[in-house]
Amino acid sequence: METPTNMTIKGILGILMASIDEDKKRRLISLGMGDPTAFSCFTTTDIAQDAVVQTLQSRKFNGYSPTVGLPQTRKAISEYLSTSLPYKLSSDDVYITAGCTQAIEVAISILARPNANILVPKPGFPIYELCAAFRNVEIRHFNLLPDRGWEVDLDSVDALIDHNTVGIVIINPGNPCGNVYSYQHLKKIAETAKRHKILIVADEVYGHLAFGDNPFVPMGVFGSMVPVLTLGSLSKRWIVPGWRLGWFVTSDPKGIFKNTKNIERLKKYFDICGGPATFIQAAVPCILENTEEVFFTRTLGILKQSSDLCFKKIKEIPCLTCPQKPQGAMSVMVKLNVSLLKDISDDVEFCFKLAKEESVILLPGLTVGLKNWVRITFAAEPSSLEEALDRVKSFSERHSHQQKVHIELS
Amino acid sequence: MGTKEWKFRENRNLRTAATFSIKRVLDDVNRNLDRSDGRPIIPLSHGDPSSFSCFRTTQVAEDAVVDALRSAKFNGYAPKGGALQARRSIAEYLSRNLPYKLSPDDVYVTLGAKQAIEVVLSALSRPGANILLPRPGYPVYEAHAVLNHLEVRHFDLLQEKDWEVDLNGLETLVDDKTVAMVIINPGNPCGNVFTRDHLQKIAETARRMGILVIADEAYAHLTFGSNSYVSMGVFGNLAPVLTLGTLSKRWLVPGWRLGWIARSDPDGIFEEHGVVECIKRSLITNTEAATFIQAAVPQILENTTDDFFVQTINILQEDADMCYKWLKDIPCFTCLQKPQGSLFLMVKLDFSQLQGINDDMDFCSKLAKEESVLLLPGFVLGLKNWIRVTFAIEPSALEEGLARIKAFCMRHANKQ
Repeated sequence: METPTNMTIKGILGILMASIDEDKKRRLISLGMGDPTAFSCFTTTDIAQDAVVQTLQSRKFNGYSPTVGLPQTRKAISEYLSTSLPYKLSSDDVYITAGCTQAIEVAISILARPNANILVPKPGFPIYELCAAFRNVEIRHFNLLPDRGWEVDLDSVDALIDHNTVGIVIINPGNPCGNVYSYQHLKKIAETAKRHKILIVADEVYGHLAFGDNPFVPMGVFGSMVPVLTLGSLSKRWIVPGWRLGWFVTSDPKGIFKNTKNIERLKKYFDICGGPATFIQAAVPCILENTEEVFFTRTLGILKQSSDLCFKKIKEIPCLTCPQKPQGAMSVMVKLNVSLLKDISDDVEFCFKLAKEESVILLPGLTVGLKNWVRITFAAEPSSLEEALDRVKSFSERHSHQQKVHIELS
Repeated sequence: MGTKEWKFRENRNLRTAATFSIKRVLDDVNRNLDRSDGRPIIPLSHGDPSSFSCFRTTQVAEDAVVDALRSAKFNGYAPKGGALQARRSIAEYLSRNLPYKLSPDDVYVTLGAKQAIEVVLSALSRPGANILLPRPGYPVYEAHAVLNHLEVRHFDLLQEKDWEVDLNGLETLVDDKTVAMVIINPGNPCGNVFTRDHLQKIAETARRMGILVIADEAYAHLTFGSNSYVSMGVFGNLAPVLTLGTLSKRWLVPGWRLGWIARSDPDGIFEEHGVVECIKRSLITNTEAATFIQAAVPQILENTTDDFFVQTINILQEDADMCYKWLKDIPCFTCLQKPQGSLFLMVKLDFSQLQGINDDMDFCSKLAKEESVLLLPGFVLGLKNWIRVTFAIEPSALEEGLARIKAFCMRHANKQ
């Protein structure tokens, strides 16, 4: 098997953690992963927790669910998603997956065929590359433009598409860049996809986590123009990534993708795979209907505060540049100016030395497709975030070219 | 200007893989049910007894999960391969039935045994490789083998020898591209339990052939006959073994989706041949069991008392005995073996005793229609014109179901 083991986020983070110098006795602060549950300010709502306890204790959900998911769960998610769409999804459009990761796996597997290729953003989320490798699907990377709010480089998209291209993946709100695309830009993407007759895989795992100028617009809004496969989960908005409750949805009101054959294929794929725990599925209707707005607002408030803080602190660090203030999701991409550093040659070395010397974990951009960039997850306790970035600052000062400054002054 | 065709097409592999699906076949059988029949449907076709109140999990398990959930400490991602405390407690639990100790590193937690199958088969996938599967068997193996481009070769289980593996036949199937053989013990669908001797012979054969053994032990400990459960891992020193297991059957919670892969390989052959790496890579793209359920595993494995296990076995034994007794007296059923374990038995249709029934699918369809009893036609398991009977339901419901089956067979008996 040719799959690269070292290129997963968890893999790299594991290696970075291992190089922490335990003698330093400093509190480890990880800004490496999109899992804010490590910080006590990020907890799920009691409504969600109680709902799951209730379904478990009812003893009615210890058996297998239908492989496409419990009907009440599918219905509840279809209603939840439809509130943001100009048409109504039916429960048949919704398939329950074990987290968004499995939804990605479904999307890649269902589109795979000999010689197929899928367009994936760079920087992006490496699970796409890994799933594609397992299913023998070729990956082609299109660029996101840092000086244009990380918008899709539609010219590069046009150049990459050929008759074997089956789809394009759009991650919005963006991981790793923290962008939230405007309605106009999403429309342009949809028009491009339509022109080339490929469908869109809309990774909306960070759906509704938008705290900047652009509101979150689901790609499904353009579902009548081009078929959209929407991927999502409870993980981010409800802060429960460990519950593994996600969905794969056909946002395709014209029925271009969801013809009888494709639906059969989807059902057959779900037949041979396992889905999430039945009692967690059973709690979803209650969770979606009863979670109060105040919970969502509170989370967004903390994220906005952290992202503002993160942006501000990065400006104080000369070797790091943040081209775009984060607008949503949980992380931001920051460019590393290696020429300002005296003994660090790239992002990987930067992150390793930082881990060792300062007990701070950042993710090398190489992992997500951009060498000499760094991904910083700002979804953390503001005080921890501040302390971590202070340590990054002192680290960079220690490793900067002092001499250059002197030469310029004299 | 003609409309250009949309570019997405079906994945042919998926189509082939999905022909191996019990669920599809059951859906087809179900379609024959007569909705105007006022009698309750008796399902003797499934693998999930948890819908019957006599098969209820232990309070210990339920409390363990509630505790983990309420602690709010397990809402984040678990490490790939599983939470350490879950892996450690599963290693200890499995080691109780082994002559050596498993370490937590030998254990990977999966989303149910189904995902364990997915992970192992995709880990073994390589160009031109083949895998040996039992016939009759469990079609999820065939499905994932196809999906992972593994050629499937079937070896027989010999009905006349208590469904033991046809080892001679198996040897003729092996070549230098064979990667593994799969055994299911206690057996699904046959209800057999391999003797220790037979397991040793399997291990010796695997060693001679240079292949690893995938031991599906989803029904571990669910034995009620003369053969007790012996773990294939006992012979891990002869041939490397990957044991697949789950909470689903012994704790009656298939909906919780908590399974595992255990490497029984005291000589470290797996590590040497890169299998461990492959499993880890396969785990990367796979999703995991819910973190809080993993966190509950130590409590579940350590604190469940014997009386819960004994109670389950007692009901299964009562069901198995009843089922055997009834079916024995029905002329159109032959080759009946008394089940020793699991939830199932296989029985062959004797068409000389029936009229107006074409095959196993026809038998099950007509039975569904006329008597609202569901059985599984054996063709989907590799044995056409056999039937798989699930006896693990409420004993009184089972009795009703068996009476209806008898009535059906009488009605369709060959009148000569």
